Amino acid sequence: MKGAGGQGSPVPFLVPALLIVFAVLIFPIVFSFVVSMFDWPLSAGGGERHFIGAGNYVDLVQDKEFWNSLKLQLGFIFIAIPLELLLGLAAALLLNREFNGGRVIRALILLPVFFLPVVSGMTWRFMLQPRYGALNNFLLALGAPEITWLGDPTFAYAAIIVQDIWRMWPFVFMLLYAGLAGIPTDILEAAEIDGANFRRRLFSVILPLLYPTILTALLLRIIDALRIFSEVYVMTEGGPGMSTTLFSLYTHRQAFGYMKVGMASAMAIFLLVISIVFAVTLVRKNMSLEKLEERGGDR
Amino acid sequence: MIVKLSTRRRMITAGVAFFAVALLLVELYPIVITLLNGFRRDIVILSGQKFAFSQLTTASYMLVFKNRQMMKAMGNSIVVGLGSTALSVGVGAMAAYGISRFRFRERNALAYSFLVFRMLPQMSLVVALYLMFRAIGLRDTLFGIMLAHSSFNVPYVIWMLIPFFSAVDKSYEEAAMVDGCTRWTLFRLIFLPLVAPGLVVAAVFAFINSWNEFLYALILTGVNARTAPVAISSLIGGDTLTWGQMCAASTVMLTPVFIFTLAMQKFLIRGVAAGGVKG
Repeated sequence: MKGAGGQGSPVPFLVPALLIVFAVLIFPIVFSFVVSMFDWPLSAGGGERHFIGAGNYVDLVQDKEFWNSLKLQLGFIFIAIPLELLLGLAAALLLNREFNGGRVIRALILLPVFFLPVVSGMTWRFMLQPRYGALNNFLLALGAPEITWLGDPTFAYAAIIVQDIWRMWPFVFMLLYAGLAGIPTDILEAAEIDGANFRRRLFSVILPLLYPTILTALLLRIIDALRIFSEVYVMTEGGPGMSTTLFSLYTHRQAFGYMKVGMASAMAIFLLVISIVFAVTLVRKNMSLEKLEERGGDR
Repeated sequence: MIVKLSTRRRMITAGVAFFAVALLLVELYPIVITLLNGFRRDIVILSGQKFAFSQLTTASYMLVFKNRQMMKAMGNSIVVGLGSTALSVGVGAMAAYGISRFRFRERNALAYSFLVFRMLPQMSLVVALYLMFRAIGLRDTLFGIMLAHSSFNVPYVIWMLIPFFSAVDKSYEEAAMVDGCTRWTLFRLIFLPLVAPGLVVAAVFAFINSWNEFLYALILTGVNARTAPVAISSLIGGDTLTWGQMCAASTVMLTPVFIFTLAMQKFLIRGVAAGGVKG
């Protein structure tokens, strides 16, 4: 590879992509930052705009609903992601062997990951309906009382978490399964022959070797969970009350409910900074251009 | 002893298979519900009747296919998906070639920033995009939403294609250079055919990304350019509870995604690790 492509300039090949990136990524980010320093109402005629510097950020810090949405967002991440990692790891360890139909099962288990997020939110909303929802039908058959799941703040919050776990643990499974398959079998066999029991093998051999993959899965899930919107939006619309108004939903409400584009932009910048921190960590630690290039096209 | 061991092994394998099937049932249950309810009438679903084969009907599908707005939204989804895919793969292939076949100082920084760009939350961009698009008349146009979808698809395609371009043996380009090919001819006539499988994989994932996308479509489109995920979500809410139609329309949307998913097992991991398939 080294000598390849010494001559010529890459610029003509990069310009179109850079133009698009500038138009729909860099410029909007800069623009968001500018808007976040204004008292900027949404109205179409462009109502009164006032420069207020850090005013929106100060207002945010004093806004109880902002802290509430942040708390709900963090709770969501801290509850859903560890469970997804555990389930994904357990399933990867269990299914990492050959049995009849194994391949088919592994393929089908991934389908929820590719379920349209909107449809997933709607389907869960359906299953949790009173009277005709599947969950209530099941509970009624057991003699339990009927519950309006999405009408209760605690149950609704639990429901959006369960929906996410259902949809995304197979994603973790997919990554960890591939990671496990990448561990040379002779290492595992050697440990087995040396008489290490399963627990020893898991903690002294498998988990250390799998660590980079686990970290990648964790960071990808955090980055993804930080921006969750559509599933929750169609499932609960942030309600009842503010009980499922996660960070993105509150940003949406600020901009298009309260028509405060400046405040929404301040929230957008806040979320952007956090996401960049995680994304850069992921890229630094686990995604190397060299490795990617060595791997070539066929895997 | 050996016999015992192998019996034990077989028991474990049977246990694992049982566990796997149980897991699979839980994971597939909501999907199956969606598929089945698409073939039941709204009234049957709302009355909470138990499922019976005699309920199966294509009535909900008929209603969906007769629903002008829904059909228009699905058409829009196809156009936006194809347009955004074509734009991203065209532009992304050039950039991936530029990054993988040239050596320049900012190479690493550039490649990594594309990757970081892929992971930015849509919510951080959409408010600004809304104001920008409104100002220049791109709001509620197919081109506008296509462009918005390119914000995640261009970086995504670049990162997907780099390994394909890197895998091309340099003897190809040396031979072509000796023959006096320009870089552009080299890219077009030598590289593009050689990385064709990569282009297909990247195109499929870019299309799915656009196909599933909801937030940009919700904010940046209205009656004209609305895409199917937004149209589907509007089938439920308030007094409208057309679950049957919602499930029928969803099934139509899910079918191509599931076919691609099952057909492209080999590439799934790379496809999602490069930034997730996500609305």
